[in-house]
Amino acid sequence: MPSAPSKLYSDDVSLLVVTLDTNPFFWSTFSFPFSEFLSHVLAFLNSILLLSQLNQVVVIATGCNSCTYLYDSSSDKSHGSTSGSMPSLYSDLLHNLEVFLARDQQLAKPWGNAAAGGGGAPPSSLLSGSLSMALCYIQRAFRSGPIHPQPRILCLQGSADGPEQYVAIMNSIFSAQHSTVPIDSCYIGSNNSAFLQQASYITGGIYYRPPHLDGLFQYFSTVFATDLHSRAFLRLPKSVGVDFRASCFCHKQTIDMGYVCSVCLSIFCEHHDKCSTCGSVFGQSQSNVASSTNRKRKA
Amino acid sequence: MGKLECSGDASLQNALELVLGYLNQIPSYGHREVLILYSALSTCDPGDLMETIQKCKKSKIRCSVIGLAAEMFICKHLSQETGGTYAVALDESHLKELVLEHAPPPPAIAEYATANLIKMGFPQRAAESAVAICTCHEEARIGGGYTCPRCKVRVCELPTECRICGLTLISSPHLARSYHHLFPIVPFDEVSQTPQNVSSHGFSSDCFGCQQSLLSQGNKPGLSVTCPKCKQHFCLDCDIYIHESLHNCPGCESFRHSNSTATR
Repeated sequence: MPSAPSKLYSDDVSLLVVTLDTNPFFWSTFSFPFSEFLSHVLAFLNSILLLSQLNQVVVIATGCNSCTYLYDSSSDKSHGSTSGSMPSLYSDLLHNLEVFLARDQQLAKPWGNAAAGGGGAPPSSLLSGSLSMALCYIQRAFRSGPIHPQPRILCLQGSADGPEQYVAIMNSIFSAQHSTVPIDSCYIGSNNSAFLQQASYITGGIYYRPPHLDGLFQYFSTVFATDLHSRAFLRLPKSVGVDFRASCFCHKQTIDMGYVCSVCLSIFCEHHDKCSTCGSVFGQSQSNVASSTNRKRKA
Repeated sequence: MGKLECSGDASLQNALELVLGYLNQIPSYGHREVLILYSALSTCDPGDLMETIQKCKKSKIRCSVIGLAAEMFICKHLSQETGGTYAVALDESHLKELVLEHAPPPPAIAEYATANLIKMGFPQRAAESAVAICTCHEEARIGGGYTCPRCKVRVCELPTECRICGLTLISSPHLARSYHHLFPIVPFDEVSQTPQNVSSHGFSSDCFGCQQSLLSQGNKPGLSVTCPKCKQHFCLDCDIYIHESLHNCPGCESFRHSNSTATR
């Protein structure tokens, strides 16, 4: 008969790392207020902790100029609410969020309008940073011993994709796939996010765009709350197609047909004479090129 | 698998002629290699095997052989002529070692490998409910295919060449898997353990990546590393993970206006 301690970690214990988009440029122009969004998210996080005593929740903020950890349910540091009216999840997270938002705004000040004026599009949030931090935390959970909760990442994102983060996000996706960590995405922006669709497709997570935002908690608790083991028994939203388009290295625009350098595999949208990444000259054999560039360097 | 049975004599020439037919279609920027796992002790050929070996050499096909029985002169000759390697496996683990030696690609010869810009398409994956006629099976299929960006037909899997317009179709993750070689991250510097670090430099007591405490027993700073670009501190385990698997520095990615210049 198995003794109770050996069943301490069963299949349905999860470590949920949430990356929360706090980009002020997106939230200030979005129809749904951030405070209401946050109330749905906080109720959802509480429900995760209620599902099992051993569940863990970590929240990372994805800001416009920086990223940071907002809440870790397994850590000892807690501010506690002075009047005891709120659970510590709410008070810690909200306190850290306020501190983070003030600092994030300050980081933008020296550059002022340069960030917003570049190209006319609102600046994206630093999803690559928060994904990298989430993966480092999950590696720490793997190191904690032979029995550990099943980790997964949930990205709550509204800002559009930043094409300059393409390589970093793809690196994070492949690392997550290698460690079998699914990346779920709940995208509330206007058009679908190609990066998050690819992330969920490659890692085996769920990509979902909720149609009605005032029922957000309902979507969270039915689609994203289940642990990995139980997902096999549920009928979850099917993918609406994945956008596998790449962004070109010269203009950072998304393209669906382009030119690929045969040496280093960098993608360009128009024909070039020379590859900007590896320096190969197209159409000439490499030995001629190497000798001419060497001569230039010595001179 | 049940229908694949061996019978008759082994023929190196037939195998090489088949390979010549396939690999001659590969463009100049591709590698042409064949790995032969050979356990027979003779070869019974319809023609002149030496002529076929000269044809392989002219087509720049690199033939390597792994022998499973004994060393044979003809295999050694083949691999020497075409620039490949020949080894005979001694036991199972040696066989695994020999086979895995062929996994990394051999260096390309500069004169032969001209760089080219190859036109490629990046198709979108259709929704699960989309219905289209698939060009590879020539019948209607529901869901799960890719749409060629030039001629809009459905193909089943990637990478492939579009049957209708000839465009090479690939998904961007296929190419992106090797980008960490193009944009490597710098090795992190070890932090010296002087007491001044703790007070003056605002030494953070937690690893930036995993929030693990960097202090060892007695509140003294333990071993940590720092990124030379963003100056964040990381624990040694995160250092190994970042450099071996993740290939992104969380500190550099998490600060928009860090000191690092954009490399891409």
